[in-house]
Amino acid sequence: MTMPRERVLVAMSGGVDSSVAAAMLVEQGYDVVGATMKLFCHGEDVPDRPCCSLDSVNDARRVCEQLGIPHYVLNLESKFGHDVVDNFVDEYSRGRTPIPCVRCNTFTKFRDFLKKADAIDARWIATGHYARVIAGELCRGVDENKDQTYFLWGIDRAVLARMILPVGGLDKAQTRARAHSMGLEVIAEKPESQEICFVPDGDYARILEQRLPADAPALARGPIITSSGVVVGEHNGFARYTIGQRRGLPGGYASPMYVIAIRPQHRAVVIGTRDELLGNGLIAREVNWLIDAPRVGERVSVRVRHRAPLARAEIVRIDGDELEIALDEPVSAITPGQSVVLYDRERVVGGGFIESARQKRTSLPVLAA
Amino acid sequence: MANDPVYLDHAATTPVREEVFEAMKPFYGPRFGNPSSTHRWGREARAALDEARERVGRCLGARPDEICFTSGGTEADNLAILGAWRALKAQGRRAVVTTPIEHKAILGAVHQAAHEGAEERFLSMTPEGTVDVTSFNRLVDDDVAVCSMMWVNNEIGTIQPVPELAAKAKSHGALFHTDAVQAFGKVPIDAQKQQFDFLTISGHKFGAPKGIGALFIRRGVHLEPLMHGGTQDRGRRPGTENVAAAVGLARAAELTVEECEAHCARLAKLRDRLEAGILAKVPDAVIHGRGAPRAPHVTNISVPGTDSESLLMALDLRGIAASGGSACQSGSIEPSHVLRALGVRPDVASAAVRMSLGSLTTDASIDRVIEVFPALVAKARQLAAAE
Repeated sequence: MTMPRERVLVAMSGGVDSSVAAAMLVEQGYDVVGATMKLFCHGEDVPDRPCCSLDSVNDARRVCEQLGIPHYVLNLESKFGHDVVDNFVDEYSRGRTPIPCVRCNTFTKFRDFLKKADAIDARWIATGHYARVIAGELCRGVDENKDQTYFLWGIDRAVLARMILPVGGLDKAQTRARAHSMGLEVIAEKPESQEICFVPDGDYARILEQRLPADAPALARGPIITSSGVVVGEHNGFARYTIGQRRGLPGGYASPMYVIAIRPQHRAVVIGTRDELLGNGLIAREVNWLIDAPRVGERVSVRVRHRAPLARAEIVRIDGDELEIALDEPVSAITPGQSVVLYDRERVVGGGFIESARQKRTSLPVLAA
Repeated sequence: MANDPVYLDHAATTPVREEVFEAMKPFYGPRFGNPSSTHRWGREARAALDEARERVGRCLGARPDEICFTSGGTEADNLAILGAWRALKAQGRRAVVTTPIEHKAILGAVHQAAHEGAEERFLSMTPEGTVDVTSFNRLVDDDVAVCSMMWVNNEIGTIQPVPELAAKAKSHGALFHTDAVQAFGKVPIDAQKQQFDFLTISGHKFGAPKGIGALFIRRGVHLEPLMHGGTQDRGRRPGTENVAAAVGLARAAELTVEECEAHCARLAKLRDRLEAGILAKVPDAVIHGRGAPRAPHVTNISVPGTDSESLLMALDLRGIAASGGSACQSGSIEPSHVLRALGVRPDVASAAVRMSLGSLTTDASIDRVIEVFPALVAKARQLAAAE
C-alpha cells in the first residue's frame, strides 16, 4: 500500500444509480467522497421526491455512512436557480420547451460541482449517469433504454478526462441487483426519477405562475389557429402548450390535431395534423462538440428528444455555434428548446439546442421566436 | 504526530469529561430510582437531583429553586421567551425585544410569540457585533414583556454588555433573558449581582452530555410552562427528571467554574496565535467582531475570494474540523444571519469559517491550522483566478 489512492467526488442524489456508482468506486479502491447538491429550497414539504428532497439527502447520507465514506451537502441553490430554473422559465415564456437537465449537467454538475472537486484535490468526479467515457469520448450507456447521453452533450469536452460513470456499463436491473448485493437496501428499490427535480408533481405551469408576473404574455389568453391562420379557439397561455401536444385542443376534426408551433409574438398556438408535425431538418444553436467538430456533408445519427429513436441525418451547415442538419426521413415533433444530439455509432459527436424545425411541406423554417 | 485530527468546533459541542462520566455512572446503575418516588430508591435519586440543583445554582450565584433543568439550550430559551410572554401578555405588555444575531432557538421562539400577537422588536447592531445601545434605549420601554440577548455570540464570540442592559430593562419593568450557552465559563456570571431574570446554559458546550441544560428563573418571576403534566420542578417542567444528566451537568459546571480563569487565559493565547498566524500569511483575511470584546474560544475568519463550503470540506478531509454559518436541516451551509445582521458583504459572509477552541485544542493543533488553512486559501484563490 504505497500508492496514494486517487480521490473521486461522487454526486449522490440518494437514488439507486449514484449510490451504486459510489459503492462500485469504493470497491475499486478509490478514495471516495460523496456529496449531495442542494439545488432548490426544501421549504415546501414534498415527500418521496426522487431527487434533491430532504429525504433524498438523508438517503445519500445513509448510503455514505454504510460505505464508510464522508458525505457533504453542497449548496448550489443560487447558481442552479440562475443557470437552470431562470432559464427554464425564460424558455417557456419565449414559446419554447426547455430541457433543464441538460443545463444542470452542463453548468451545475460538470462545472460548479467540478470546482468542489478541485477544492478537495479530487482528480475525478463521478455520477450515476447511464453513459460511458471510453478513451476520452462520451458513449451511450450499455442499457439503451436508460441511456442518458441525450442530457450530457453540453459539458465541456475537457471534463471528460476527469469523469467516471460507473453504472454506464450496467443495465438498470443489474444496477438494482448490485445495490442489493452490496447491502444498500435503503435505496435499492427506490422509484425512478422521471420528472424534473424542481417541478413537484410535474406541474411545470405552477412554477411559471409563481415566477412570472401575473400579466405575463406566456400565461395570458391567446388564439388557437390553424397553419393557414384560421382562429379556431382560445387558450389560457401558450406556455402551457408544447409541440406535439393533443390535450386541450378544440375537437371536431376529421383527423387528430396536434400543436405544431407556438408563435409568442402573436400569443398564438398553431395546430395541425400529424403530417404537419413532421420535420425533415432542423437548426440548432449553442452547439457543443465532444470530439473534433465534424465536416459539412458528414453523416450522423441524431436524437431530437429523450427516448426518441435514432434518425439518420446529414450535416448541412456549421456556422460558429449554429448547426443545420437534414434528416433522411421526416421526424415528428421537433421542438424548439429541446436538444438535438449527434452520434457516430456509440459515441456522442456533440449537440445543441433546437432553434427551429424545417417543416416537411413548406421547407421553410418556422421560427419559434 | 503532525497529522493528528484537529477538532476546532467546541462551540458546536464538546466531549463529555471523564469526571462527568464517572459522576453519572451510578445513576445508570444501582441509583436508578425515580426522584418522585417516596421509597428508598426514589429518595436516593431525589437526593442526587436536589444536590445537582444546588451545585448548578452555586455556579451561577443562584438559589436551588431558581434552577430548572431542561433538555438543553433550545428548550430553556423557548421556556424563557414563550413562558414569559404568555405570562405577561395578560398584563398588557405586548412587545418582545431581541437582537438579530441570536441563536435560532431564540429567533424561532420570538417569532412564535409574534405569531401569538407579540410585537417583535429587533435591536440594531454595530458592525463589530455588539448591540447599539441607542437602539436599546429606544426599543426597550414599558410595553416590553421580555427582552432576550445572547451574552456571547456563538458564531463570532462577541460579548454583549448584559449586566448593564439587564439593569436598564428592569427599570422599565421588562423581564430580561440571556442565552449564556457560549458565555458560561467564559464571562463572570453571578445572579446575585446581575439583574437578568432568566439565563440559559447547555451542558454539552462544557463537558456534560447532550440533552441536558438549565434555565435560571429568578425567584418570584412567573412563567407559563411549555409542557403540561406532572408537578416536577414545581410544574415548570413536568416529566421525570434526567437525574444522571443533571448530576453530570452539575459536575461539569463546577469544573468549568473552577478552571475558568486558567482555561480562558490558555484559549485566548491560542486564539491570538491562531489569528496572528493566519493574518501573517493571509493579510487580507477578515476576522469578524475583532474590534469588540470577545470570548476567548471563538474566531470567525473570512478570506475574500474563497467559499466556506469548499474550505470546510477540504479542511475536514485533512482532519481539521471547523464550521460555517449554521447548518440547515439538509446539512448544507446557509449564509450566516449573524454576519448579515452586521452588514458583512454577502461574498465575504459566504467565505466565513468559524474555529472554536476548547479542551482538545493544543499548540500543535494551532500549528497545523496555521500551516494548512493558508495553503487551502491560496489554492482556492488560485482556482478562482483561473476561471
